[in-house]
Amino acid sequence: MKLEELRKIRERAEAEMRLRAGQARVKIVVGMGTSGIAAGARQVLRAILDEVAQRNLRDVLVTQTGEKGLSAKEPLVEVHEPGRVAIYGDVDEATARRIVVEHVIHGRIVEDHLVELREVPT
Amino acid sequence: MVEDLAFHVADLVENALRAGAKLVAVELAREGEFFRIRVEDDGAGMAEEQLRRAGDPFFTTKPGRRIGLGLAFLRQTAEELGGSFRIHSAPGKGTVVEAKIPWDHPDRPPLGDLCGTLLPLIATSPVEFRLVFRDHRYTWTLDTRELKKALGPVPLTDPEALSFLQRAMGEALAVLGWKEEG
Repeated sequence: MKLEELRKIRERAEAEMRLRAGQARVKIVVGMGTSGIAAGARQVLRAILDEVAQRNLRDVLVTQTGEKGLSAKEPLVEVHEPGRVAIYGDVDEATARRIVVEHVIHGRIVEDHLVELREVPT
Repeated sequence: MVEDLAFHVADLVENALRAGAKLVAVELAREGEFFRIRVEDDGAGMAEEQLRRAGDPFFTTKPGRRIGLGLAFLRQTAEELGGSFRIHSAPGKGTVVEAKIPWDHPDRPPLGDLCGTLLPLIATSPVEFRLVFRDHRYTWTLDTRELKKALGPVPLTDPEALSFLQRAMGEALAVLGWKEEG
């Protein structure tokens, strides 16, 4: 590992974090439970990370979670923003990329895969 | 069903995450005629009865699930090709799974995309990973605790951090000659 390179990455990222007060604007959570993985969640997670990296979305955090109790709709992807959480189901690689572009970048819900849109207190 | 070896490793890592591990150590090594896969975790571990049945394709510890094929497939792959499979575990003490697979066997599953399969799991998981790739002349190590210390508040999924990790792992795989197969 080249620590000097990591230090420079940190400096650049922290400078951008200061501009947005240290908060990730959006958190994307991919369901990586057994049924999610059987339905293709690994590929979905990979596609989301790839799209976030290609578009250099530094204010987006990508994480994973276990079973969510909605096996029939797996793979599931949640998009958390201030004030709302959108849960998408039956997500494949192409849909995952659409969620990043349409929802995360442009703020438009991907209606044809929406399972639930929940308001949350900010 | 043939899974590439990268998927087998991912299965073991996901088992460790579900067992509540805080640290997962993955070692992939060319040792003589064998390719060794070793995954150790500090998760919940398994009691003797669970352990005895861990390679049974119709046994799983996952609530609500009736099959648990991950370990069974790996055991079958290793043993059918003349390699070996072993698992050590105890409640509260974590689990170690190790498989040795003959590298030059014509039916060895392809390595698959180790970087593309493992990196998303590692970068998005809240637990720590120690990853070692090695052969007789080269050892490459990635420890997320060191990475996170160097990166501070910057997540491993940051585009630039992720690109750095992909490049570093890709270079290591190239040096080892473990390019994507299959």
